[in-house]
Amino acid sequence: MSKPLISVKNLSVEYITDTVPIKAVRNVSFEILPGEIFGLVGESGSGKSTVVQAMMRILPPPAVISKGKVVINNENIMEASKADIIGFRWKQISIVMQSALNALNPVLSVREQIHDVLDTHKGINGKKADDRAKELLSLVDINYDRLESYPHQLSGGMKQRIVIAIALAIMPPIIIMDEPTTALDVIVEREIIAKIIELRRELGITILFITHDLNLLMEFADRLAIMKNGEIVELDKVKDIQKGGKHPYTKKLIGSIPSASGKREKGILSKPDSLDSPKSPILEVHNLEKVFQSPGIFNKNKIVAVNDVSFKIFKGEIVALVGESGSGKSTIAKLITRIMRPSSGSIYLNGKNKKVTESRSVPLDYRKTVQMVFQDPFGSLNSIHTVYHHLARPLLRHGLKDQKEILSHIIYLIEKVGLNPGKKFVEKFPHEMSGGERQRVAIARALSLEPQIIVADEPTSMLDVSIRMDVLEIFAKMRKENNLTVLFITHDLASARYLADRIIVLKNGSIIEENTSEDLIQNPREKYTKQLVKAASPGWLNSLSKSS
Amino acid sequence: MNKTIYQNSILSRWFIGIMSNQKAFTGSCIILIFALIAIFLPFFIQSPTDFLGTPLSPPSSEYIFGTNGQGQDVFAQTICGARQTLLIGFSAGILVVIIGALIGGTAGFYGGRTDDILSLLINIFLVMPGLPLMVILASWLPPTPGTLLGVLVLTGWSWNARVIRSQMMTFRNRDFVSAAIVSGESNIRIIIVEIMPRMLSLLASSFIGASIYAIGAQVGLEFLGLGDVSTVTWGTNLYWASNDLALLTESWWTFVPTGLSIAIVSFALTLINFGIDEVSNPRLISERLWRNEIPKDMVSHGITPVFNHHE
Repeated sequence: MSKPLISVKNLSVEYITDTVPIKAVRNVSFEILPGEIFGLVGESGSGKSTVVQAMMRILPPPAVISKGKVVINNENIMEASKADIIGFRWKQISIVMQSALNALNPVLSVREQIHDVLDTHKGINGKKADDRAKELLSLVDINYDRLESYPHQLSGGMKQRIVIAIALAIMPPIIIMDEPTTALDVIVEREIIAKIIELRRELGITILFITHDLNLLMEFADRLAIMKNGEIVELDKVKDIQKGGKHPYTKKLIGSIPSASGKREKGILSKPDSLDSPKSPILEVHNLEKVFQSPGIFNKNKIVAVNDVSFKIFKGEIVALVGESGSGKSTIAKLITRIMRPSSGSIYLNGKNKKVTESRSVPLDYRKTVQMVFQDPFGSLNSIHTVYHHLARPLLRHGLKDQKEILSHIIYLIEKVGLNPGKKFVEKFPHEMSGGERQRVAIARALSLEPQIIVADEPTSMLDVSIRMDVLEIFAKMRKENNLTVLFITHDLASARYLADRIIVLKNGSIIEENTSEDLIQNPREKYTKQLVKAASPGWLNSLSKSS
Repeated sequence: MNKTIYQNSILSRWFIGIMSNQKAFTGSCIILIFALIAIFLPFFIQSPTDFLGTPLSPPSSEYIFGTNGQGQDVFAQTICGARQTLLIGFSAGILVVIIGALIGGTAGFYGGRTDDILSLLINIFLVMPGLPLMVILASWLPPTPGTLLGVLVLTGWSWNARVIRSQMMTFRNRDFVSAAIVSGESNIRIIIVEIMPRMLSLLASSFIGASIYAIGAQVGLEFLGLGDVSTVTWGTNLYWASNDLALLTESWWTFVPTGLSIAIVSFALTLINFGIDEVSNPRLISERLWRNEIPKDMVSHGITPVFNHHE
């Protein structure tokens, strides 16, 4: 066995506060061998980014390293002087940051940004630097005429490739990638990963890859460590973890991944009988269109967010609206819940025509029928109000007066979404609950008026992986018990398939394809849908590298 | 579970939070002492307009701050001057915040045409040169305390409206506001119950800032003789001191007590503002905690410090 390139021993990181220091990372140890892809997986707040930033000593105070030893390429980072550390960064180890889309300086061209790195660390400039920049761009499959472009002229995927090119600029033996693809759409993400794997093969670099997405890492990492609450709970070869893992947390993580390929293993509850003989749709959308106009008198920029969208939803159905960011899916949610007014088109509820373009005010009756669950439970609950306020207000607003009745109904709702005992949660503030608990409260709020339709806009994407499935189950349960209709909006085909009866695929504001979940995934018709399905299936890496 | 008690608790929780900060607490104590003195002490001392003794006599056991050019008691003048100066200063502060919140809040929340028109109004008042306008208005209108208040509010509201508008715009698009809309809440209720409490710190520091400005501007106007010179305020105290050639006659006691009071009040208000800042932005506090322990060059290069890693 060769000597490890990186060795981290008992690393602990604390944050100074005015009371007790917060221990963000506790006794983390791992080693990375040359040429390896080592994965670090954990949910938000697990300390995974803190570990790597402390390793490179780029974590600004109030964070301090309270314990541990880090040796990278035979150099003890903990005892290095300031000058050593500065010289060491980028030459030995470079980092692709989490928000890579913002990592590029918006006022400098790609050329200037690459030159900057080359000049600072190697003193290369002028023509030589240009040649190197072209070389780097071709490594990441970007045409060299893009050298003159500014970041805003590039797509998310291209920016990400350029950030990787800059990280490769002086060929450090190690590259750290901190959630490099999180902000990207799934198809682009898959392409970037394939590129990274290819570069690793060609250049022999060692990669430390950090992500919250275990599913993704299992495709290409050699070994991985799973972090929870600042500690590594499991560290093993991917092959062994794939078998199910030893730690209960690992098991839960692996068990919570729905798949978009093969047979649907975990059948979400079957659809109600009433669906087989649908009479009239509960919600009809006709030629919906939303155009955003830039503000100002002289600005005539128009963005078509939703373009001629029509669909029907029947009572008791769960329909998924699947699309990438910018596909207009959230706008459709806001149009249906009438937070926003469409530019044209109409929405029919229960067969009655609700000409949304005509009236500005929305009748309370409509509010009672159509409710919404938002993506971010941190944002959709007001931090200064208690759970009681959030659940009582809709009831008060819609005519319930009796305090006792309201309280008992609230407790019933809280328990219905799986928070037990309900009494305990009534007086809590949002910051006193976990993300999952908050989202359950948000769902309870949407359910409080006993609506017929719930529009759920990415209800699980901000939640930790291990609890996503539980939250989706709530919708399935409500459908079964209350014959609730759900419009489930997501970017994730696998979870759409897990929950929905029918899937509508959206791209650039238009509907591309529409079919029952199983048919859509087994036999996608459109090219774009095929790409989506492929990207969401295990083994996508092999199929991608074969085709390229 | 009573709704009104519950609403109060938002304010009181916020207030307790702010008061737990040392700076804000100290500042508030100073302001409170000044306010109590201004309200109650004038009942127990002699009238500040009575002619008592030899003009320009220095501080003595009889007149602890001495007398001014008209032989009036400087101590009584300082105490009684606080009354009107602080009253007008804080009233202007409150009015500026209310007008700013109404106009800025409406513009930010409703957007579109409403915002276009109100923003235009705000911008017009922003670009108007405040000081000359103030001087012209104050000299043209009859010199009553009401005029002064009006002039201060008119020239001071626009900046606050601007700040509150942008804050409102960011809240307007938050999910919790959309959620309130979906649950059928009215716009007014959303603004007052959901958004305004989130802006408490901004409103409070706007109030403090506006009060500092109003006190300063008011004293300035009166010093120039643009106020009602027959009333006793800190501004007219300084006006008369200057009129009586206090500097030439080296009678420092005629202006130092008033000047010092103005400085202390402004200082205390600024302390409160710092305190609000620290409470709503905890990073400022933590920075104070570690600043002395960690070498400066480490901080400036963003290098994570290592503590006792030798075991």
